[in-house]
Amino acid sequence: MNKTVLLKRGAKQWLAALPFVLPGLILVTMFILYPMVFTLRIALSEYKIVQGEITFIGLQNFVNVLSGGSKFWYALRNNFLYALVTVPVITLGGMFFAYLINNLRHGQGIFRVGFYLPVITSWVIVSLVFQYMFNSSDRGLINYVLVDVLHLVDNYIPWLLREWTGNAAIWLMGIWKNMGWAMLIFLGGLQGIPHELYEAAELDGAGLWARFWNVTVPSLKPVTFYVIVNMIIGSFNVFIQVMMLTGGGPNGKTSTLQYLLYDKAFNQFQFGEASAIGLVSAVTIVAITALLNKRLQLDTDGEEAT
Amino acid sequence: MKLQGKRAADIVGQVILWVILIVALLIFSVPFLFMITNSFEEFSYVLPYPPKLIPTRLNFDAYVHIIQMPIFPTAVFNSIVNTVLAVVCSVLISTLSAYGFAKIQFPGREMIFKIYLFTLMMPGFLNIIPQFIVLKGIQLPWMSGGSLVGTRAGLILVYVATNVCGHTFFLRSFFRGLPNSLSESVRLDGGGEGTIFFRVMLPLSAPAIGTMTIFAFQGFWEEYFTAKVLVGANESMLTLPLLLQRLNGQYATRWEWVFAASILALIPTVLLFIITQKKMVVGGLTQGSVKG
Repeated sequence: MNKTVLLKRGAKQWLAALPFVLPGLILVTMFILYPMVFTLRIALSEYKIVQGEITFIGLQNFVNVLSGGSKFWYALRNNFLYALVTVPVITLGGMFFAYLINNLRHGQGIFRVGFYLPVITSWVIVSLVFQYMFNSSDRGLINYVLVDVLHLVDNYIPWLLREWTGNAAIWLMGIWKNMGWAMLIFLGGLQGIPHELYEAAELDGAGLWARFWNVTVPSLKPVTFYVIVNMIIGSFNVFIQVMMLTGGGPNGKTSTLQYLLYDKAFNQFQFGEASAIGLVSAVTIVAITALLNKRLQLDTDGEEAT
Repeated sequence: MKLQGKRAADIVGQVILWVILIVALLIFSVPFLFMITNSFEEFSYVLPYPPKLIPTRLNFDAYVHIIQMPIFPTAVFNSIVNTVLAVVCSVLISTLSAYGFAKIQFPGREMIFKIYLFTLMMPGFLNIIPQFIVLKGIQLPWMSGGSLVGTRAGLILVYVATNVCGHTFFLRSFFRGLPNSLSESVRLDGGGEGTIFFRVMLPLSAPAIGTMTIFAFQGFWEEYFTAKVLVGANESMLTLPLLLQRLNGQYATRWEWVFAASILALIPTVLLFIITQKKMVVGGLTQGSVKG
């Protein structure tokens, strides 16, 4: 085939596809792709939003962010810690509960809804409840239970005002909020496992645990990967929790890159540095996802043609 | 004998499952229980001691107070209208788009789809400043002087746009799972892509589209950050999540109001989920997206 024929065919194909993909493409270009390019530009510039002036300053914003005290490093560390703590707990917990629920003969619906409720509850609402539960004095539920009921601790803990207890509260909230999501996805995966596999294992004398470990876990590999990748991406989108629970305090030690970005952009109006932080966060996620892809020998099916 | 033993073991197993799950669910429910219980209380300037987890009374004063707030109907109206419009537009556009990427061959298709996937990995609110600027730049003749910032149209436009990639990704895997033979027979009968889409693909993918609609509803209904930045300055555009945040800021110790409003805001999503959860299809969410 010569070039013109190919071109003609391409144009014809585009003509057929346009009514379907065009509206989405326009919106994505205007509100996602263009903003991404714009962010890149702002990250390399000094941006005065009121005057609308953009002056190219090279990597100065990145230099400022990286050398501007410890806040950035605490934030980066906290994103990683959030992922390290919450992703395994959410993944294993979600898988565990999905497995139990899937083996129930009656009443699956109750637990499916029950565990999923935190997922559909807005972050704002969840943060409000946790704020009160983790109140510093004896008026907070957690302190009351730990000190006055169980006598495990002698003094009331100012949970949200300290570095590690504040981070722990943020992690706990993330786990509580997302485990139901993982459960639902795993439940979908479990229902896709052919029954014969279990029957064969049962014939071999495998108990509940052995069946879980030898049949369920390997069959769930792709679903597990999906859950892990989603939760890792989520770990680099930690914002409302920090804003409403600790405000990043004390001294940015419970902050995350996303909260730092928000703080830089909307409290200090340093859009250049905020964009630089955003890019660092973006590059980190892409790198981690690519690494995971490679390590787990899985790829997305983008190349396959239909 | 042997069969009976097996049945007994089976029943014991089921009982153990129930016990573990109920205990876990009780622990999971603590924040909700705490919220409900305290919405029935009456708070003054100090928080009560001891904090209450189990309701001791039924008192709906806080709910009445919230419903009677002059701003409450505005917030409910905005939340409903924004959510419904955003869901309809986003599902419509994404369904079309997903079909295009799944079933129509065109040059650059995989490339564009990869870009869509890539944007999904980006932290969403990184784009909020440029989105704000884009909206500020859109000034249509019938809008006297103003821009799309602070308007419902602007907010919905950004809502839809930020969800196109994710929704396209989700639905594409379903469309890809549908056999091509069906579309071939329509083509043989002289039908075009439009006929295939509306007559064959749409009905077959109804469960997937339905599931996505529910997820989209939940997402838009609770959305806080974009609304805060884009319409936060416009009092008449206040939504429920913004109202909640404001209640918390204004009446720091009136938790019964905050929680009552939270519960009212939660009712639609919870009901919707309970009604639809049996029909949701999440299995396909991972098929086609990742291969093992």
